[in-house]
Amino acid sequence: MTDYNAMDDDAFRLMVRSWVVAHYPEDLRNPPKRLHWRDNKVWYHKLAEKGWLCPGWPAAHGGMGLDAGKQIVFMEECERHGVARTNDHGIIMVGPLLIQYGTEAQRAEFLPKILSGDHVWCQGYSEPNAGSDLASLRTAAVSDGDDWVVNGQKIWTTLANDANWIFLLVRTDPAAKKQEGISFLLVPMDSPGITVRPIVNIDLHDEFCEVFFDAVRVPKRWTVGAVNQGWTMAKNLLGFERIYLGSPKLSGYALSRLKLLAERMGVWDDAAFRDRYTGLSMEMADLKALHATFVDIVRRGLPLGPDVSMLKVIQTELFQKITDAMMDIAGENAGLLEPIEGNRNLHPAGQFIQARPSTIYGGSNEIQRNILARNVLALPA
Amino acid sequence: MSAAEDRSENIRLLRDSAAAIIPADYRRIRALRFTDPGFDRAVWQEMCDMGWAAVRVPEAQGGSGLGVAEYCALAEALGRGLVPEPFIGAVTAASVLSGAALAEAISGASVILPAWQERANTIDCAGDTTVSGGRANGRKMFIAQAGGADAFVVSGRDGVALVARDAAGVSLSIERTQDGGSFGTLTLDNAACTPLAGDMAAALEEASLATGAYLLGVMDRVFSMTLDYMRTRQQFGRAIGSFQALQHRAADLKIQVALTRASVEAAAVTLDTSQHPAVRQAAVSRAKARAAEAAMLVTRQCIQLHGGIGYTDEADAGLFLRKAMVLSSLHGGAALHRARYAAVAPDDDE
Ligand SMILES: Cc1cc2nc3c(=O)[nH]c(=O)nc-3n(C[C@H](O)[C@H](O)[C@H](O)COP(=O)(O)OP(=O)(O)OC[C@H]3O[C@@H](n4cnc5c(N)ncnc54)[C@H](O)[C@@H]3O)c2cc1C
Repeated sequence: MTDYNAMDDDAFRLMVRSWVVAHYPEDLRNPPKRLHWRDNKVWYHKLAEKGWLCPGWPAAHGGMGLDAGKQIVFMEECERHGVARTNDHGIIMVGPLLIQYGTEAQRAEFLPKILSGDHVWCQGYSEPNAGSDLASLRTAAVSDGDDWVVNGQKIWTTLANDANWIFLLVRTDPAAKKQEGISFLLVPMDSPGITVRPIVNIDLHDEFCEVFFDAVRVPKRWTVGAVNQGWTMAKNLLGFERIYLGSPKLSGYALSRLKLLAERMGVWDDAAFRDRYTGLSMEMADLKALHATFVDIVRRGLPLGPDVSMLKVIQTELFQKITDAMMDIAGENAGLLEPIEGNRNLHPAGQFIQARPSTIYGGSNEIQRNILARNVLALPA
Repeated sequence: MSAAEDRSENIRLLRDSAAAIIPADYRRIRALRFTDPGFDRAVWQEMCDMGWAAVRVPEAQGGSGLGVAEYCALAEALGRGLVPEPFIGAVTAASVLSGAALAEAISGASVILPAWQERANTIDCAGDTTVSGGRANGRKMFIAQAGGADAFVVSGRDGVALVARDAAGVSLSIERTQDGGSFGTLTLDNAACTPLAGDMAAALEEASLATGAYLLGVMDRVFSMTLDYMRTRQQFGRAIGSFQALQHRAADLKIQVALTRASVEAAAVTLDTSQHPAVRQAAVSRAKARAAEAAMLVTRQCIQLHGGIGYTDEADAGLFLRKAMVLSSLHGGAALHRARYAAVAPDDDE
């Protein structure tokens, strides 16, 4: 097997580029909305066959085992070609969770299924009354012999309408302090008692859902880690999520579209615009540098600290600043529902709307700032 | 009562009558989104019956003869309700109509909208269209709610003319907008037209300001809805409005709403009292630049303050964001109006 990490960065980049260009479906480049599984599974399977589905997983578990620098190169090349996000919860969350906390049997059962695309995962954390205050979640799992019996409701579950498995945070000890009575369960979506109701988002797309649990039986062997230890694991996973959400990828894509739009609107050579654009691209470069230091921590197997919250704040707000700039130069086109002249690359309104939720999900930016103030700066509560 | 007190009492009555026909919920607005023509002719009729289409038409010509302050008060009220009927367009068109066409326009018998713009990012009529000799040729863009028009007031290099929607040589293509309305592009290929007197410059100046006033209504309304949400939504055992980070955010948004109101109302007074073109333009540009920027800031922060529910189509906050996305740049965005302000405003130390 190729030792990618031993390759020269430029050679690795060219290898990734030529393969991506040769294999990525042309009609899926730069889609205006998040793709559903029916559309992106072709690409998921191509990556899987190539062994490139999970760049960050260790090679022993079927990943590429890339170091920080190579992961960034890989990401940049996908971004450069307009590669869309897949249904990647298994790749970025369940895999790392099981690699760190799962049993041998669980890894053997689930990792290959993620790698093959047989299992498509969604994330069941948030509830109607447990969003920012996630630890107050109420979906309950009650022990009954070899099973848990789950009752409750999750909400904002991204692409639950595509998924055949969900990873769930549930309350297993109602008497304990709220963070201490939570467990982590893996649940098949076709279990009797599960109902999925898609929610239309502001972009008029059925991207997230409500998921209802009515006496759903879940075998106990699908509990990850120790019972009532779910919160600690979830918090560690949030670190992975933040590093992902803090990846310069989204902003990089938007920045390249900003340039195309500026050319189209005739302001690319305008001094005020160019100053703004340059400021954004320099911030992007700084973000890449900071992001690389965190990716490196993960690669070395060290725990991520609460300071990873910075990445999420910078990335998402940079993304929003870029799309604000699009709106500012687009003139009346900023109000259009569809891309300008049918050109997907010129869709300021669509990009602006897509940038909205990034400061809400994955722990809102207000919550990230609370974490930075309390847990990093140790300011008094 | 003094004349000024009289006037503000009248404005209050106008606001009340506007509020009376605007439902408290947004069901009607939702039902009309992404339909053709995107507004309800019967509601437009009601608005015409109250004299709104004629708000700026002199009494001698059968209009209400009201001032810019009244026009803006109505626009703001309609903004609060996200009302999609083509109020500002119709008022603009009426400014150059007379006789039977004017009577039809202000009675609601026909919907006549202005077609003045030939490129993005502009507030003047300059372009290539011609309307002389009874024939119109050219192309006009960004005509809001054009699908519901019976006729257009078309500006040309050589005058202004009335063009019927169904005249030979007229074609109209429609693009949907984020708020559920539409922009029309009108192509005129030797279409028959009737010449009109005057030009739309003054009315377009007022339309920029009225759009700012509409945006003021949009931001003020969604801001108060969001404050209500902050008072009721509980996380960590408290109302989210009790978190100081969010309180400061809300205080900052309040400041922007207040600045916008001050700027829009001052500009209305200026248009009602000053004949000096530079003074008028500076006042309008200041107000529209502020309204455009503040509306985008307030509406997107209101989404953020709602959390996940703010990103659903079901939540009303999104309707306001998407309205602001359309109107912030219509009749000039913030950058355009800043540039014009810099060009026309008197020096600060004068
Ligand atoms: C597009 C999208 C996709 C999502 N996908 C998923 C998913 O797949 N799975 C999943 O489980 N969840 C998902 N979520 C849910 C997301 O994690 C929550 O929306 C988020 O945690 C915020 O919770 P909330 O919506 O209940 O907002 P609330 O917690 O009610 O927050 C409302 C506002 O109050 C602020 N606030 C709350 N507490 C504080 C505080 N202490 N200090 C300062 N400000 C505060 C928030 O920042 C926000 O601005 C998704 C959300 C979105 C928008």
